[in-house]
Amino acid sequence: MNKRLLRDLGLEIWLPIVLVVVWWFASASSTSFYFPPLSKIMESFAADWLDPTQAFDNLLPSLALLGMGYGLALVSGVVIGTLFGLVTPLEEAARPVLEFLRAIPGVALLPVFIVLFGIDQPMKVLLIAFGSFWPVFLNTVDGVRGIEPLLLDVAGVFRLGRARRLFSIILPGASPQIFAGARTALAISLIIMVVAETVGGSGGVGYFLLDAQRNFRVQSMWGAIIALGILGYLLNIAFRIIERLVLRWHRLQQARLESNS
Amino acid sequence: MSTSPSAVAPATASERAPRPARQPRAGRTRRLVTQLGAVALAFLVWWVASFTLPIGVMPSPVATFVRLGALASVPEFWAAFGTTVATFAAALAFCTVVGIPLGLAIGSSSFATQSTRLVFDFLRTIPPIAILPLVLLTIGANFQMVLTLTILGAIWPILIQSIYAARQGEALLVEMATSYQVPRGWFIRHIFFPGALPFVMTGLRIGTTICLLLTITGELLGGAPGLGFEIADAQAFYDNERMYAYVIVSAALGLLVNAGFYALQRRLLRWHPSVRREDAR
Repeated sequence: MNKRLLRDLGLEIWLPIVLVVVWWFASASSTSFYFPPLSKIMESFAADWLDPTQAFDNLLPSLALLGMGYGLALVSGVVIGTLFGLVTPLEEAARPVLEFLRAIPGVALLPVFIVLFGIDQPMKVLLIAFGSFWPVFLNTVDGVRGIEPLLLDVAGVFRLGRARRLFSIILPGASPQIFAGARTALAISLIIMVVAETVGGSGGVGYFLLDAQRNFRVQSMWGAIIALGILGYLLNIAFRIIERLVLRWHRLQQARLESNS
Repeated sequence: MSTSPSAVAPATASERAPRPARQPRAGRTRRLVTQLGAVALAFLVWWVASFTLPIGVMPSPVATFVRLGALASVPEFWAAFGTTVATFAAALAFCTVVGIPLGLAIGSSSFATQSTRLVFDFLRTIPPIAILPLVLLTIGANFQMVLTLTILGAIWPILIQSIYAARQGEALLVEMATSYQVPRGWFIRHIFFPGALPFVMTGLRIGTTICLLLTITGELLGGAPGLGFEIADAQAFYDNERMYAYVIVSAALGLLVNAGFYALQRRLLRWHPSVRREDAR
């Protein structure tokens, strides 16, 4: 068992190591302005992102912004999505309008949101929330509608109240789909976060990138790319852990179904 | 598989009972009326907002559409529109042609899948916008820059979902094919491709959305010609009517792309329960 684990780990890790080593040596003697040696990139990465005060200045505003925007998208997406999923006439009537709003590429709204809400924090939160709302909302609608009708019939027979029905049948049943939407939304909110932060001067990763670009600090740009990759990766891992915890019952059920067949 | 970002609803054992093939006419008319009502309501809200908000924040719908009509007779408008569509289409075509075969090939070998997993997972999580400053400095504010940015951002969901797709063959079918010793070509055509297709389509759908988003973003922030640039330009001149008109055009483009994708998906996945169920709805 342990041996297998070790072998799996080796399989997953050999290529990344090879690639980094190749990058390191291939770029070691690079004199290109745009493609500096990896050692130089790591230097500026360490200075900008590993030094606690610097890292806090750059990361905290971004994380706060992301948390608020993404959180708002999750809550509103699930609430409104559940409503629209349950009340079919409402969803059907609103479909053309929703399809249109959904089709707007989130970033294209940046100028509009600036005009409407200014250039401060609320505008950025709303922009992130608007862009990442759609995957959550649409998947919630689909998930709620896809509930096994038999389950609802059983709930009717047992005369479960509305609240019980919502919280013990509908939302859990839709949760795998909701999580699928939430995962897409996370990626989108990261993109919009960086874009929104290039407006105004309240710090954050986006502002850092813009500043680096304006001053031609190419090493800092590379460092920021690596930092954003690591940030995204960690967020994904956190997401996966939460998903595994919340959807534990679902996985167990799936496994049971498979072992039966 | 349940934890995958699968848009295609997993096929449940209990198919819905067959329903009447066509909706009663009265129901369809009623739906159309309510939909038109909702659209009218949206315009009403926009119109009310246009004169209750401070002046200059939001133009009225009439003014915006009049402006849009005027723009449609200007060659610059069509140049911007054409550039955006061309960039989007070229990027999507590249991602499809490279991403899907590569993904399916990698996914067919568990050695290749495991070896590349960390690399692709890491590359995927870099917000593509982070590389905008770099491509902007190296390539410049032009079509090629937007194309590079878009490809580098949109290829990952397509590639990763294709890897995943190749591994999703129904175990029972694969076993059966092995025990009946079906020829390899037949297996690929009749079992491997149909099994992978729903998952490939999911990746393609996410990739399509990201492609359009990044095309507009690259133009808007990078200052490369196209619809995104026109939006930023209108904002710089405080020309709100023009700005809203261009946002509407971007949305219409998104709508068109979504509709096209939906039609393609229905065609390719006619046999799949998720589409069949929707027909019955």
